[in-house]
Amino acid sequence: MLEVSKLSAFYGDFQALFEIDISIQAGETLALIGANGAGKTSLLHALCGLTAAKGSITLAGREISNLPAFQRAAHGVALSPEGRRMFASLSVRENLEIGANTGRKGPWSRESVIKLFPILEEFAERPARLLSGGQQQMVAIGRALMANPSLLLLDEVSLGLAPVVAEEVMTALGQIRTKNEMVTILVEQDIRRAVAASDRFLCLLEGREVLSGVCSGADLNMIGRAYFGEGTAA
Amino acid sequence: MMTIEVLISGLLLGGLYALFGLGLSLIFGVMKIANIAHGEFAIGGAFFAIAAGTFLGVPLWLAVAMALILSFAIGYGMQILLINRVLGDDPMPALLMTFGLSIIIQNMLVELFGADNRSLDIGPLATIGFKIYDIAIGVFPLLMFGVAIALFATLHWFLRHTRAGRNVRATSDDPAMVCIMGLDRTRIFALFMGVSAVLAALAGIMLAMRGSITPFSGAERLLIAFEVIVIGGLGSIWGSLLGGLVLGVVHILALRIDPSSGPLYGHLLLLAILLARPEGLAGRMEHR
Repeated sequence: MLEVSKLSAFYGDFQALFEIDISIQAGETLALIGANGAGKTSLLHALCGLTAAKGSITLAGREISNLPAFQRAAHGVALSPEGRRMFASLSVRENLEIGANTGRKGPWSRESVIKLFPILEEFAERPARLLSGGQQQMVAIGRALMANPSLLLLDEVSLGLAPVVAEEVMTALGQIRTKNEMVTILVEQDIRRAVAASDRFLCLLEGREVLSGVCSGADLNMIGRAYFGEGTAA
Repeated sequence: MMTIEVLISGLLLGGLYALFGLGLSLIFGVMKIANIAHGEFAIGGAFFAIAAGTFLGVPLWLAVAMALILSFAIGYGMQILLINRVLGDDPMPALLMTFGLSIIIQNMLVELFGADNRSLDIGPLATIGFKIYDIAIGVFPLLMFGVAIALFATLHWFLRHTRAGRNVRATSDDPAMVCIMGLDRTRIFALFMGVSAVLAALAGIMLAMRGSITPFSGAERLLIAFEVIVIGGLGSIWGSLLGGLVLGVVHILALRIDPSSGPLYGHLLLLAILLARPEGLAGRMEHR
């Protein structure tokens, strides 16, 4: 479904990613693990076209690496960005609706997103900037889902949320996972939580892959060491 | 009675000022750049209408319609061909480009029309008026005011209640994220540069109907437009209306009290607002 080969990303002269390879089947979730500055967000931004990158990205049989961001969205790439990035002057309802701007068909609609996050119904007409962090996170995920993506990129979905709210969001992600044929890439600081919510993982250190594997039965201690750049990468 | 008359003629003039500010405010809101060529868009639009009337001999309404359509095309085309290429994190290149465009347009107008005063003749409409309780009100200033208010209301409706309007507000909030929504922001920018050019041209045409213009009138109009949006408050279209009305009243009042003052008191008002309330009368501080 998603084949990434030798993907490198740059900010001016600074290289943030070095020849990353990814291969994921439809319906699978990949956890991106790594410390701050390891290149997780750069990888997501390189995939959705917000960062200049070299290499090949094939999604559902289509090469999309040469397309600008807005055309990649039309081909099914959706991002729930770090920091939520609500459209501050739009209502919650408008924030969700603009997610469906590309008009892609699929299981997600306003109704199904509200079923996933019932609280959004109550706040539909409120400006998104007045919501709490957790509620904004739900809008950001909902907005990405509204695009009916074939590649869903979720950046730091639990960052800065109260533990209870973070669990609520992760539970919702679990529901998304069981009923979709899309590829999901999840960036999450908490290694245990990331591994529990994913099928496979990829650990980054200073822009390079240091460890990757299958989540079920993965050795959390080994991932932890790779996270900090200690010991040998298997 | 005099004060009420001053107030009314100030408000009526303020409607025109507000219209000058509206187009500039839109571009600033959506693209976060100041379009230095805004005054030239206004004066250029008026000269198109004058040229269509003089050289083609078409009736006034048709000349105005042609000028507005041409203005949209020029605004849209400039954005696609030139300004979009230099837009980036740094606002300076785009700002300098609009500065360059303003000089080029001004010199083209001088080349084509000479430096003489020109105006658009609207016949007896320019002078007819009526009286309410001894207060004289001109029909044409009232008409101008009505057009300005109608345009503000239309634009408000467009931004609040249409899908394209929603996309524009989103672009203003976070231009990088609208690409993730599958929107080509360069098209949105071009559409709004076109709309802004039409609003400017309409203001310029009404100015040429009310008095006279030369190819050099643009800079002064740009200054008024700037004052309107700074006094009213950046980023809100109703702020532009308020800023225009306030500035109009101040100008008329100052001319009555101190006839040789010119736009001085308008500038002093701007200074006072910048010192006392830099976000403008209707302005909001950034929510971040």
